[in-house]
Amino acid sequence: MATPLLQVSDLHVSAGDKYIVDGVDLELQHGEALGLAGESGCGKTTTALALMKLLPGALSQTGTMTLNLKGSDEPINLERRTETGMRYVRWRHISLVFQGAMNALDPVQRAEVQFDEAIRLHSPKADSAEVNARTEELLSTVGLSKNVGRRYAHQLSGGQRQRVMIALALACNPSLVIADEPTTALDVVMQAQVLQLLERLRERLGLALILITHDLGVLAETCDRIAVMYAGRIVEIGPVDTVFANPQHPYTKRLLETMPSIGAKRGLADPIPGGPPDPGEPPPGCRFRPRCPYAQEICERDDPALREAGPAQAAACHFAPWDEWPEEGLSAAWKAGATG
Amino acid sequence: MTDALVAVRDLAVTFRVDRGTARAVDGVSFEWRKGEVLGVVGESGCGKSTLARAMLDIVKPAAGQILLDGSAQNGKASHAEISRRLQMIFQDPYQTLNPRMRVRAIVAEPLKVQGISKSEHPDRVRRALEDVGLDPERFSERYPHQLSGGQRQRVAIAAALVLEPDGLVCDEPVSMLDVSVQAQILRVLTDLQKQRELALLFITHDLSLAWTLCDRICVMYLGRIVEQGTATDVIERPQHPYTQALVTAVPVARAGGGGRRELLTGELPDATAIPSGCRFHPRWPRRFEPCDRVDPPLLAAGAPDQLAACLLHDPEYSPGA
Repeated sequence: MATPLLQVSDLHVSAGDKYIVDGVDLELQHGEALGLAGESGCGKTTTALALMKLLPGALSQTGTMTLNLKGSDEPINLERRTETGMRYVRWRHISLVFQGAMNALDPVQRAEVQFDEAIRLHSPKADSAEVNARTEELLSTVGLSKNVGRRYAHQLSGGQRQRVMIALALACNPSLVIADEPTTALDVVMQAQVLQLLERLRERLGLALILITHDLGVLAETCDRIAVMYAGRIVEIGPVDTVFANPQHPYTKRLLETMPSIGAKRGLADPIPGGPPDPGEPPPGCRFRPRCPYAQEICERDDPALREAGPAQAAACHFAPWDEWPEEGLSAAWKAGATG
Repeated sequence: MTDALVAVRDLAVTFRVDRGTARAVDGVSFEWRKGEVLGVVGESGCGKSTLARAMLDIVKPAAGQILLDGSAQNGKASHAEISRRLQMIFQDPYQTLNPRMRVRAIVAEPLKVQGISKSEHPDRVRRALEDVGLDPERFSERYPHQLSGGQRQRVAIAAALVLEPDGLVCDEPVSMLDVSVQAQILRVLTDLQKQRELALLFITHDLSLAWTLCDRICVMYLGRIVEQGTATDVIERPQHPYTQALVTAVPVARAGGGGRRELLTGELPDATAIPSGCRFHPRWPRRFEPCDRVDPPLLAAGAPDQLAACLLHDPEYSPGA
């Protein structure tokens, strides 16, 4: 197998003695799209920020993160980079498209000024004609006309702002784009347009993509592989089609069942009781146990690690791989239910 | 018709804005039947929330009628009756609860407004909280900031239902909540709907949700209903090109996903400058003569109860006919 673009090993993010990200391992191939799914507080955004070393001061991270760029024999060890060293990596090699493009664009600058900054970061000697040409090229890549560059953030629609953010992320030809809930604030039509755009860009530019979202439908359409996070850990990872057709962690299975989906069975499935634990305060044993319909005694005692559960698929469940899911014998804790 | 809880006739709502007059709701007629789960779907800016606010007498219509049980509602006298019979919950449970009131006071507020005897309050508040799955002992004395998002939305539902209304309008009730909590709130709503024969009106841009929950669906585009019918007919066999485009745009959480497809281009036009003829024609690549001149009414299309506002279904104009 080719050297992966990104290798993350044993990533921890802590606030004091609480681990918000609690041991994440990931590999991402060149040009691959990986979806990071999970509910709020599961650590998916924190993981993305840790990859960019952009965590707020109160949080600290450990673990290794290695970037192997095409055409370079020298791997970049992100964890050893200083803040100055990271500036060389951010935007040039990895760029981030934030959730809520309204907040990420500078409200008092025209869009073109922000392109100017990003482009000059890559080629400091560019003259203004070159910068203008590149801005226009970037805007047209995301399907916007050049006059959008003259506008301020508040003069753009939600879909336009998100496109501007994506264009900015591409300014320095990065190898990896991390997109954090890029379509959450958008309508279905606009969402579909933005997702199609990301997919086309990925094909054309050979980008790798980490897409963070709670919307499993969005992942199914955009990604090659999916990693499901729960309470600071990856609890299931595998090819999108395999995981959707045959989930191996009870959390993934129940999430898929409770998602309304056109073409599936109409009507509501039984919801997952309760809510996720507070970040950094997982219950003992398996983190999903209090909400799991299949929990047994061992689940209270032992914290399961990711184990092989199918071809290229792994799940952090004591009973994976599941040959079949029991209908009866659901645990008492689950039946008692809880309120979210 | 007798089984209509609310009948809306030729409703129009306009707003004055800098650019002119925005026709947010522009001639809408439909019925919301007793005990029915009705979905109103469309992109943001299509007028679906304004429509709901007009039905609840929160905004004043410029034209048209809203009939509650067959009687027209105008003037101040009926406002109290509307709020007794119809209630509404909103998208953001973080903004709709008064942060300085305890849960029991929030839930009792509608009783107070309706002038119901104070001695009845504690019992009715307790029952309302139990109905939404919140233990009154644990939650009555809390403030909104001591609740999770799902718990807040449950409190909002309890406050909306404490007057035992006949209809509950839910404006994007779960779009701010996490997936697993969404399913819990939807379960609370549908259980109440069945137990009490409560009519639900779901306003959402989430077609999968509407398809899963609703008996019937109205699709709105730029202030108009462009298609209506049973949820199955509208989503599985859409008859209006706009509905077809919406359905295609929905990401599918299934192995294989949705694959490549033809997407709508452009964005929803401004409600101050509604296109001539059919308001959807500028975004439809297969428009034909006279889509830009003739404004189509809702026409019979597809299944027996299905209507679509598209000239494709008008034998006089349809190129296929």
